[in-house]
Amino acid sequence: MHPDDWNHKLILLDGATGTVLQQRGLPPGGQPELLNLTDGSLIQLVHQDYLNAGSQILYANTFGANRLKLAQTGHSVHEVIGAGVALAKAAAGDRAMVALDMGPLGELLEPMGSLTFERAYDLFAEMARAGADAGADLAVIETMTDLYEAKAALLAVKEQTSLPVFVTMTFDEGGRTFTGCTIPSMARTLEGLGADAIGLNCSLGPDQLAPLIAQLCEHTRLPVIAKPNAGLPDPIDGHYQMGPEAFVQALLPCLEAGASLVGGCCGTSPEYIRQLSAVLKNREPTPRHYVSTGFVCTPTLPLPLDGVRVIGERINPTGKKRFQQALLEEDFDYILEVGLQQMDAGAQLLDVNVGYPGVDEVSMLPRVVKKLQSALPVPLQLDSSNPTALAAGLRVYNGKAAVNSVNGDPAVMEKILPVVKKYGASVVGLTLDESGIPKTAQARVDIARRILEGVVSYDIPKEDLWIDCLTLTVSAQQEQAVETLRAVRTVREELGLHTVLGVSNISFGLPNRPLITLNFLIQALGAGLTLPILNPNQKEMMDAVAAFRVLSGEDKESRAYVERFAGAPQLSPAPSAAAGLTLDDAVMRGLKTEVGQLAKQALSAGEDELFLVEGHLIPALDQVGSGYEQGRLFLPQLLSAAQAAQAVFEVIRSSIAQKGGAPVKKGRLAVATVKGDIHDIGKNIVKTVLENYGYDVIDLGRDVPPETVLQTVRQQKLRLVGLSALMTTTLPAMEETIHLLQTLSDPPMIFVGGAVVTPEYAQHMGADYYARDARQSVEIAREVLG
Amino acid sequence: MKLNIEEALRYLGVGKPIPEKLRRQAVQMAERLTAALRPKYLYRVFPLCHEADRISLPGTQLVLTGETARRMLAQCDAAILLACTLGAEFDALLRTEQARDMAQAVLLDACGSAWVEAGCDAAEEELAARIPDRYRTDRFSPGYGDLPLALQPAFCAALDTGRRLGLYVTESLLLNPAKSVTAIIGLSGQPQMAHIRGCAYCAMRQTCQLRKGGKRCAS
Repeated sequence: MHPDDWNHKLILLDGATGTVLQQRGLPPGGQPELLNLTDGSLIQLVHQDYLNAGSQILYANTFGANRLKLAQTGHSVHEVIGAGVALAKAAAGDRAMVALDMGPLGELLEPMGSLTFERAYDLFAEMARAGADAGADLAVIETMTDLYEAKAALLAVKEQTSLPVFVTMTFDEGGRTFTGCTIPSMARTLEGLGADAIGLNCSLGPDQLAPLIAQLCEHTRLPVIAKPNAGLPDPIDGHYQMGPEAFVQALLPCLEAGASLVGGCCGTSPEYIRQLSAVLKNREPTPRHYVSTGFVCTPTLPLPLDGVRVIGERINPTGKKRFQQALLEEDFDYILEVGLQQMDAGAQLLDVNVGYPGVDEVSMLPRVVKKLQSALPVPLQLDSSNPTALAAGLRVYNGKAAVNSVNGDPAVMEKILPVVKKYGASVVGLTLDESGIPKTAQARVDIARRILEGVVSYDIPKEDLWIDCLTLTVSAQQEQAVETLRAVRTVREELGLHTVLGVSNISFGLPNRPLITLNFLIQALGAGLTLPILNPNQKEMMDAVAAFRVLSGEDKESRAYVERFAGAPQLSPAPSAAAGLTLDDAVMRGLKTEVGQLAKQALSAGEDELFLVEGHLIPALDQVGSGYEQGRLFLPQLLSAAQAAQAVFEVIRSSIAQKGGAPVKKGRLAVATVKGDIHDIGKNIVKTVLENYGYDVIDLGRDVPPETVLQTVRQQKLRLVGLSALMTTTLPAMEETIHLLQTLSDPPMIFVGGAVVTPEYAQHMGADYYARDARQSVEIAREVLG
Repeated sequence: MKLNIEEALRYLGVGKPIPEKLRRQAVQMAERLTAALRPKYLYRVFPLCHEADRISLPGTQLVLTGETARRMLAQCDAAILLACTLGAEFDALLRTEQARDMAQAVLLDACGSAWVEAGCDAAEEELAARIPDRYRTDRFSPGYGDLPLALQPAFCAALDTGRRLGLYVTESLLLNPAKSVTAIIGLSGQPQMAHIRGCAYCAMRQTCQLRKGGKRCAS
């Protein structure tokens, strides 16, 4: 066969290797790849059987041959893969192609586990090079459940070799992988990244796979692979129960749904492939119908652009002192909070802009992307004019992102579009060029056309281009509002592209800005705006979008609208925080909103920031703390009070940032969950409580190597460090960290805690303090830092 | 499958009387969690081979050592290996909630623990229906009594939990995703006494926060 046969012919793959080997006595949990070295003739025989059964692509026995899994074996990746590919080639001769097979690494990637994306890439890159060196004809990435891991593997093959590459993932009957990835997200992301064929393998039988294959075919133009198990295993003895005839019959609906590369996974044998081969003989691939809609996604949240989609604008330092401060201090928690608020307010896509003097966008953008994606399921739009920063951000993004932006300047397109193409992103095209923003709608539409030509010339699908007709300030250039709206209408109707507008800019310089902005938004939506960029925390904007969706027919039966407004008070009464409630009471009762308002009132009444903290906040928190110690109050209540206190600190921080003064901070310490430990909620509880007593807590995260703690202490000259361990197996890492810190000439005080730590063991390890709970860590911080 | 609110609050160290507002919050959280995801589980029956100082499970690389396994499985000729997890999706929910509201996050965490236990209970009910003619021991897990945590990798390999459940063991022997349970249930031809759910056998007895407060995790 020829390498592009899979684009227009039915192709027969092979069946299970592991199952066949287990039938021959390999215990489950053993490493079948080592047989490449110890019993090559057996492996070659398995390949030979599949070849004789009709397989046109043989998967080499290299599924788990990565450095992590081979670590204890004394054999190198090149050795095991080299032998595996050679055996498959020896069996195949010139009758079949040989695929380097790459399975999951066996450890979860960040943010679920501690394997970084970059390290995963390196591990796959090593496999890919070994496969190419050994003469594999293509690479197959299979049985993936994490789209991020599949992306690392796919990039590795594409960047390190020139092999064609297939990717198949493993889904449950509900159409999700174990990590929650959906089929549309998988399809759009992998096609965007340049896979040659994609599909599903393992986990299910062919009967359960068919509806999922149908869904996959709607979301990709690529050839689709189906490699199911021989039914489901018997839960009692683990054996697969579907025989070859039933398997082949059940696979027919997958072919009818559009799959064109088929084979078997767990439980299948050469006999299954032989019978499948007979069925394929007189068939042609089923014609496919791909629906091209605009699309962005994260693994768990596919976002087809089939209606109005709101882009949140708040992750942006422009004109926001508090955000600028967060960027300079690398306060990623604050940036996450800004993102979360917008998501909770209804934003479906978040614009991410971290460009600010003194901030290195190239290193900052990927860090912010990772932080946001660790906790938020919404897709992101990376906003920068720096192609290197965009590439760095897109590389670590999990899913299909958008880029903001290119424009009609050929030099800009030349720099940005290759990056957009490589990472399969959508892109915003601004209707301006090297000579500036045109005054007329027609001229802007002309630029949009030029950008479209550019995009298509880079082989980027048309639906991935969104046009921004540019909002100008109406107080300065009044006639431009109408031109913008006219351009939006034309781009939507004549070019059929999605349209973006940052609406807030319209009202700059006028009183009652929200009124103008709201009116402009409504008119723009009417003209065909599909992707408004706005501040979703302004409720009236989101209300207007909700109403528009009813009128446009997008919100079927007005369901979302009714849910949004039914039962809600028609006129929200002015919040009356002051009605008899004191700041201290509000903190103790954990009333976050009220606390913030009371703090603002106190400050505007002339109260001093420091007194607000020392005179009100701390005593109130102490009272809650002592209730907790006495067993009258419980952890959720302690944390509610702490978070209410956080609201006061936010008010104070904003107030000080406005004045340009130094932040109120009591003293600085670091907290870390030790090396090997990945469950960090205990450490996060301690951090929350300490921060809300005003301490400046450096959160080193989880699975923290002792050297990182040491470096931080040294650089920041810290006097106090908190270490947490959950498991007996990670106590040695805690002890090691303590000993390393004590090699410093002036070691910090160390407090330890966590489920398995006892006061005795804390002392034995050489810690200075044992913290029973978060509350006690406050006492320790007071004693050491004041 | 039912999430036990009392049990969730017990994990949080909430003593009786349970404050009404807190109970309401826990109920709401439990509703949110159980609507969002369900525990997934996987089990398989293996024969047991009793040797002088250990019990092996032919067909796996698992060897059970120590007093706990000996005592629990004394009268058993087979055992069920069970793995149950809330999956990576729970961990993602918990990360979001920690960013949103720590007080709610600790409630979610506790509800998660109760929910994965509910999954184990459901698996046991299913097993009882599938093998009605066999008596089962209490379920017990690596890390309980003197059953070593070091069994986790071979345990998970025997069930192929990575591929079939998305459940992995880290180098430091933690299960990942976080809300996961592996457990052994002995199968016997004769009725089995309830042995466990008592502090005397628990590996956490020195450090358990509940015990420090004079409470227990099981009634």
